[in-house]
Amino acid sequence: MENLAKKRNLIMNQTLVERVCSLCSNSHAFTYAMVVENALGIQIPERAKYMRTLAEEIKRVASHLFTLAIQAHLCGFDSLFMHVMEVREQMQDVKETLFGNRMNLSFNCIGGTKFDLEQENLDFLMQTLDKVDPQVTEITDIFETDPMICNRIVGTGILPKEDALRLGVVGPVARGSGLALDVRKESPYAAYDKVSFQLITRDGCDLYARTCVRLHEITESIRIIRQIVQDMPSGEYRTHMTKIFPSEAVARTEAPRGEVIYYIRTNNTEIPERLKWRVPSYMNWEALGVMLRNAKVADAALITNTIDPCVSCTER
Amino acid sequence: MQTIVKGDSALINTLAELCPAEGVSHTEDQDGNAQHWFKLSSPDKLIAAASALKDKAARLSLISGYVRQDTDEADGKLFAACYHFVLDGCVYNVTANTTKEMPYVPTITSYFVNADWHEREMMELVGVKVQNQPNPTRLFLDTELEPGVIGSYIPLSVMMNGACTKDLWEHILGSKEVK
Repeated sequence: MENLAKKRNLIMNQTLVERVCSLCSNSHAFTYAMVVENALGIQIPERAKYMRTLAEEIKRVASHLFTLAIQAHLCGFDSLFMHVMEVREQMQDVKETLFGNRMNLSFNCIGGTKFDLEQENLDFLMQTLDKVDPQVTEITDIFETDPMICNRIVGTGILPKEDALRLGVVGPVARGSGLALDVRKESPYAAYDKVSFQLITRDGCDLYARTCVRLHEITESIRIIRQIVQDMPSGEYRTHMTKIFPSEAVARTEAPRGEVIYYIRTNNTEIPERLKWRVPSYMNWEALGVMLRNAKVADAALITNTIDPCVSCTER
Repeated sequence: MQTIVKGDSALINTLAELCPAEGVSHTEDQDGNAQHWFKLSSPDKLIAAASALKDKAARLSLISGYVRQDTDEADGKLFAACYHFVLDGCVYNVTANTTKEMPYVPTITSYFVNADWHEREMMELVGVKVQNQPNPTRLFLDTELEPGVIGSYIPLSVMMNGACTKDLWEHILGSKEVK
């Protein structure tokens, strides 16, 4: 895909990068748009920053719920799997209603967003959150206390903090080992400096800790979405790219699985000289070597799922 | 008006000493987050740069290898490797350009263990040579493919070791017969 990116112009690449991954497709489109804007000095409208943040947090809620559902399935708790997927389905409906798509939102573009969001659809989002929020609280309680889950995940798949640091892991994998790493906090972008939310960390270093991180991050994402809808300014949602010149830049965002980073080199043509990206799963695979050490074979799938692995992202 | 450069000033000064004067620049992204750029005077300075970044507990986030477009064809294919480190919300981008005299970059795996995958990917996809890489095996691609394939069109079935055709099973059966 990185080779294909060198054959297409900057606008065509927006469509290409959204297809790196399905679950965090929006993070790629978002970060790609940012890296081009950083390279070419484009300042996007304030409303676009809020709408980009909104789309990213909606995706995070759906992505975390999906991983947790799979975890329930791998624990043999299939009724919980179905329940979590049912809750997630409501977020899929939100995506379809707001953006017209359930996976690849196709919302970000260089200079802002492709279209504006209507108040009627934002009202639907808030009504859905009113239903999802208590359901997430209920799910959180089950994952944190039910013996059928806890007996499998407490003390399993240990990744000590020093190994997490040494391997450079990111996202909920890092935060579950006590590392306070989150691009949204350390280098705020889009509207993340305008909203209040907690950086969730746990010191347990096991599957339970990573599960708690994801569960509470869903609650924080819902908090962010509510603030964004309430405070979103009116006005333009896109500015135009007016010139292309030799430059280089990086952009980082916090995808559901952790830090995504893009690097671009532009020249005097509309085709980038180099476009490179690195996804969170790429950094987290090596941690499995530590987590799986001395583990039971029966826990291998459960431990592998705990990094929320994305093969298509890693391979590109 | 004085420009305020965000970041660790001691680290910035150390890295700047490894570069020619015109090889250092400081930028900000659209949200005001600092990005520092250092072009090393030679690839062997990378070890000193990695050591300084490790001392400050920076995190290696990405290595971007690419073919340099600013060189004469007579010099052959020359490469650049841009190392992106993160420290306290700032990105430190350190670029090593390979030269005719020094056509490789040294490995930094002794400072950053997670450089292993990045270096191996850069070797097999872009063709950058990494000196003393402790694990120079293929990361993604079949060993039958030449390094530096990013500029080539290769059938997906070959690229994926025949994983989408019966070639995969022929590979597996072939390796069993050899044993």
